This record gives sequence, C-alpha cells and structure tokens, in this order.
Amino acid sequence: MKQALIISAQTNFFKQLPVYAVILILLIIPRQMFAQADSTQKAEPAAAEELSLISPTLTFISVQNADNSIDLKAAIKAKVKGSSIKLPLLKIMFLLVTDTAEKQLGFIITDHLGKAVFNCKANSFLPGKDGKLYFKAVFAGNKAMDAAEAEVTIQRARLEMSAPVKGDSLITVKIKLIDVGTGTEMPVKNIAVGIFVKRLFLPLKVGEGTTDENGEATVEIPKNLPGDAKGNISLLAKLDESELYGNLEASVTSTFGSPVSDKLEEAPRALWSAHPPLWMMITFAILMLIVWGHYVVIVYELFRLRKEEPHPPANIINS
Amino acid sequence: MELNKYQQEIFEKQRPVIEKFGVRAWGWSIFFLLWILVGGYALYLQIAKGHYVTGMRDNVVWGLYIANFIFFIGISYAGAVISGILHILQVEWRKPIIRIAEMITVISTIIGPIYILLCVGRLDRLHHLFIYPRLQSPIIWDVLAIITYFTGSVIFLYLALIKDFAIYRDAKLNIPKWKQKLYTMLAIGYRGTPSQKKHIKISTNLMAIMIIPLAILVHSVLSWIFGMTLRPGWHSTIFGPYFVLAAIYSGTGVLIISMWVYRKMYKLNSLLTDKHFINLGFIMMVLGAAYGYFTFSEYLTGWFSSMKWENEVIEKLFNPAKYGWWFLFANVAGILLPLLVVAIPKTRTPNMIAIASFFMVIALWVKRYLIIVPTLESPLLPMQDTRMEYVKYSATWVEWALTLAGVATFFLFFTLLSKFITIIPISEFGDKEKKSVVVLAPAKAMETIPA
Repeated sequence: MKQALIISAQTNFFKQLPVYAVILILLIIPRQMFAQADSTQKAEPAAAEELSLISPTLTFISVQNADNSIDLKAAIKAKVKGSSIKLPLLKIMFLLVTDTAEKQLGFIITDHLGKAVFNCKANSFLPGKDGKLYFKAVFAGNKAMDAAEAEVTIQRARLEMSAPVKGDSLITVKIKLIDVGTGTEMPVKNIAVGIFVKRLFLPLKVGEGTTDENGEATVEIPKNLPGDAKGNISLLAKLDESELYGNLEASVTSTFGSPVSDKLEEAPRALWSAHPPLWMMITFAILMLIVWGHYVVIVYELFRLRKEEPHPPANIINS
Repeated sequence: MELNKYQQEIFEKQRPVIEKFGVRAWGWSIFFLLWILVGGYALYLQIAKGHYVTGMRDNVVWGLYIANFIFFIGISYAGAVISGILHILQVEWRKPIIRIAEMITVISTIIGPIYILLCVGRLDRLHHLFIYPRLQSPIIWDVLAIITYFTGSVIFLYLALIKDFAIYRDAKLNIPKWKQKLYTMLAIGYRGTPSQKKHIKISTNLMAIMIIPLAILVHSVLSWIFGMTLRPGWHSTIFGPYFVLAAIYSGTGVLIISMWVYRKMYKLNSLLTDKHFINLGFIMMVLGAAYGYFTFSEYLTGWFSSMKWENEVIEKLFNPAKYGWWFLFANVAGILLPLLVVAIPKTRTPNMIAIASFFMVIALWVKRYLIIVPTLESPLLPMQDTRMEYVKYSATWVEWALTLAGVATFFLFFTLLSKFITIIPISEFGDKEKKSVVVLAPAKAMETIPA
C-alpha cells in the first residue's frame, strides 16, 4: 500500500512537472529582463531632480552684413545629467542698450538646435558716446529653468566684396573693410580677412588677405572649385571675432565654379550598391525555386497519399 | 500495417522504449533541464546587462557562439549527406543507422542557429533581415540557406517516419491517448498500399537527391562568411570545400558516438553491429585523410606566401605560448587519431572507434575556435592604447554556460525524440524478409472487416 502511494505520488509529481517548471521560470525571470532602461545604473531619486532648476547657458554674437544689417545670433543650451542639451522652443528677447534705457528689438523662439537669429537694420540705431552699439539677449527663465542673458558690444563697420575676376589659373576677389562707427567711412588696415566658399555643411576656407592702407585686399582663390550644375559658387568674406567689430560678412555669387551635376545618378546594380547584380538575383531565384519547388512536389505527394482510400488488410495472420 | 517476422522482432525490442518514459529517462531529462536552466540564467544576464558579460569586444566580435554555430551546423551533415548518399546508393547496412543520422541533422540544425541569435545584439531588429534583406551579403545567403536546409531536413526525417508512424498507430501501444492521436495524425492515413508506397518512394528519392547539394551549399555559404572577408586565415578559396569536408567528418563522428550510446543504453547489439561501426569507421578514416590533406594544404599555402598578416596568424597557431597546444591537439586528435585507430586492425573495434570519434569531434570544435579567434585577434589595423581584454579574447562563464546549455539541449531533444520514435526504423527492413507476415490491424479497420 505504502509503495503504491509512493508510486502514485511520483506519477502525480511527474505529471505536474511542466506546471512546476513554468512556475519556477516565472519566479526566476524578473520583469526587468526586457526593460529598456539601463538596469546597471542606480536610479536617482526623483524628488532631488524636481528641486533644482536647470541653469542654461546663453551664447550671443553679432554678425554685421554688407547690406548694413546686423544678425544677432543667440544659442541656448544646458547641461542635464552630464550631457549638453540644445534647448528648443524658448523665447529669446533681443534688446538695444543705450545710455538711458534698454529698447526691446523683438524676440525669436529657438529652433531645434536651440538657436535664435534676429536680423535688424543698423542704420536706425544710434551709437553710444563711445561710438559703439550695445546689444543684449535675454532668456527670462521658466518653471524648470533659470533666467539667462548675454551681451555683445560692437563698433559699426562694413565688409565689402567685389565680383571675382578670372585669371589664367586663379580667380581674384577684392575685399574692402570700412569703419562706419563715427558716421564717416574710414578704411581699416592690417586686418586679416578670410575668403570661404559655401559648402553643404560649413563654409570651406579657400584664401585669406590682409587689408592695406585703403582697407582693401586682393585674394586669390582656386578656379576649379566645384559649383552647382551651372557652375555657380557662393563666396563669403568673413572677419571672425574681432574685438572691436565682432563678426563681419559679405557674400557674392560667381559663375566661375566647375559645374557639377546636381542630379542623382542611378546607382548601378553591384555588390556595393543597394540593388544586387541581376545575375545574382536570377541565380538566387532559380536556386530557391528549384529547392522549394521540390518541397512543394513532396508535400503534394503526401497530400495524394493522405487522400487515398484506406482499406483494411485482406488477411490477418498472427504469428 | 503488415510486419514481417524480422520487423516484428525489431519493433518488440524497441516497444518498451517508446511506451515508457522510465526513471532513467526522467533523470537524464531533469539533469539536462538543470543544465539548460543555468544557461537560461546566463542568457538573462546577457540580455539584462548586454554583451559586456561575454568576452566579445570591439576587435574579437565572434567567439564561442560562432564556433558552436559552425560546429552544430557541421554535425547536421550526419543525416543530410551520409544518410542521403547511402540511400541513393541503396547501401543495405545503412538501414539501422539512418534514423539516428536524420535525428542528429534536425536537432543540430535547430540548435546551431540559436547561437547566432545569442551572438548578435538588438534582437528586436531581427525581422529586418527579412524586411530589408541585402542579397549581396553572405549573411543573408546563410540565413536563407539554413532555413531551406532545415525545412528539407525535417521533410527528409518525416518521410522516413511515415511508415513507422503507421506501425505505432496500429500496434496498440500502451501509451497515452494524445500520443496515439499524434501517431495517427502523423501517419497521414498510410496503410502500405502500393500507390502509397510509390508516393513515399518518389518523395524520399527526391529528398535524398536534394539534401546533398543543399547541405553542401549551406556549409559553403557558411564558409564564405569567412572566406569572402579580407582577413588573414579566412580569405582562402579552399574554405568552401574545407568546411564541407570538416562538417561531414564531424557529422560522422557524432553519428558513431550516438550509435555507441544507443547500443549500450538499449542493448541494440544485434541491430547496431560491429559491422556498422567498422564501415562508418572506414568512411571516417577516408574523410579524416582528406581533411588532413586540406588542412596541410591550407596552412602550407599561407605559410609559404609569407604575407605579413597571414604569418601573424600562423605564428599564433604554431606558438606553444599562444594557441600552439590547441592547434596540435586539433590536428592530432582530429586527424591522426581516427586514422590510426581505424587503420590498425587491433584497434578497429566499436569501443575504440567511438573513443576516437569522441576526441575527433572535440578536436573539430577546437579547430572551429581556432579558425575564428586568432584571426580576429590579428586585425589589419594595429590596436593601440587599448585594454588587454579588447586585444585578446577570453570566453566568460556566461558563454561557457550557454555553450553547455546548447549541448544539453541537443541531448535532451535526443532523449525526448527517442521516446517518441524508434531509433531503429522498422519499416526499412520490410522488403526482403517477407517469409512470415504478421498483421498489426488498426482498431477501426478491424471493425470494418466482415466476420
């Protein structure tokens, strides 16, 4: 009897073994197994995050253009959990600071890179007693972030660039730098100005010249610069981060570039392109068709076998 | 189903094996499951913490997992090529061993590709292989070839099993109802009529022919993943045939070991005779000699060309301080030992052939490891200012646990399958021994016979 009970218990145990196995697996596998978060890092307490406001950093520069306009460029970013994040959709107010008051020029909402560019006509601004213009960019802050502001001081100047002239092997461009801060135009000498050509991402420097006593410089640039389909290239004269004038730019479009087709050429069918060579497709298709075709034939044969009328054996002979 | 006396004998010998899942089978199954459970824990760690828990790093991006993958796909050749060729050549002594060979094929083709999944990250993007396949990539060739090969292997095994399923269905076995129903379903109404036999014969012949080029293609494609890469030790035209030959060779070894185990376990000495071991031993010897020739040719060519990167890998393989001892073992146990054991009449016994096969199979696994790791440790661009673990690969316990879990899964599947189907195919022996006929009548058919 006792032995029978033991056998019965053993049989029940073995019958229920799959159930025990499933329970065991469910107990062992924690929910975090398929979690996306990095479980190896310790989680920061949420309350601590809420207490401290983010302190953003505002960078502010100005660019004086050849058409007497000024671009006021602000960029706002913040360091969150050790990584720098560019802050989009924030309101940046631009102000002109005079001896007596701060005049609001306007505001711009930052783009996805946290940048705001405000373009204004410089002729309407009255410089201060020292002949300089003072600008300010202000972020007023919000529930999550502290306020931030930055200032920039510039003296009015203008950078001019003439249409390029094509020589035998080089192209020459003339540039002129004029100080207009005092109301009269004064050439600026001994300033290095770079010549760039606009490329897909950032301008590429192709030459540099230093202004003479007349504020002028002649710069030679290569004549085989790739342009668009018609050979157009955009040249840019830039004076970067001058202590007195800030940034100055002037641009001109020329047809002296080498024409480069802007049409996308169809990639050939090749090992390195998106589409495989035709012979490979055909070989692959033939091989697959042959093999899987045989599988289909075999499955069909088995279906025919199954459909056959079963019949009992004619003679039953027991050995 | 009609059974002759010989078939009846074979069936009765194996009847208890498929009727009872004995204590020994339970014990082994639980043992293998525990083994797999340890692998499951290792897998959990790998998923939760990432591949950082393995020894694989930026330079050595493949390790044990890929060695296991090649190994398991290799041993799947046992069924595909050996049983396919023997079937086409109508070799009589093949009959008791083909079932084991085909089981090895199907099981190892299931386990092998799992190691690919363990090796790659971002399994959530696995379906991209099929949505955005790049037909120029040998990886895609490999995926498609293995799927096709696996399907073919399952069909080949099933075709050989239909007649036996009909026998199990009609034999009034002392088994649970679900098992009886499953046998009935899988037998697909087979009664042994001449036309049904014809359907099976056509299909089996087709598959036997198909499976051989298919298997060769699968392992060639696998070798091309290495061979088409401009890396020292890999970029070689011999890699296709070299991989194919090594696969058949290791498959033969696993087949011999499996036969030896089953012979001992189920006392099948009368069916798995010394003749089978010796015949397979001779096949193994020929394959071993060819494999040895390929190995010699491969390394001689590489060494003689004296290319800088090639020599760097060869130096690692021959240097005892690096991989020298492993390389020696791979060649002595993988080539010389089986050759000598089968060539010398005194050692040409089932036990010795099985032992030689065992060491040969281990050696071939080591060889796969030696193909992968030393090459990856010899990058074309020099490694500078990097940690030692990035330069030299060292497998972690997680990788070893998952490797052993794969082996355990192989054994577990074998144990379970051997409890569901007879290891020795019964129907295969039917045609030449029809002296006295025994009829195992199906229950329903019996009812329809008029008194």
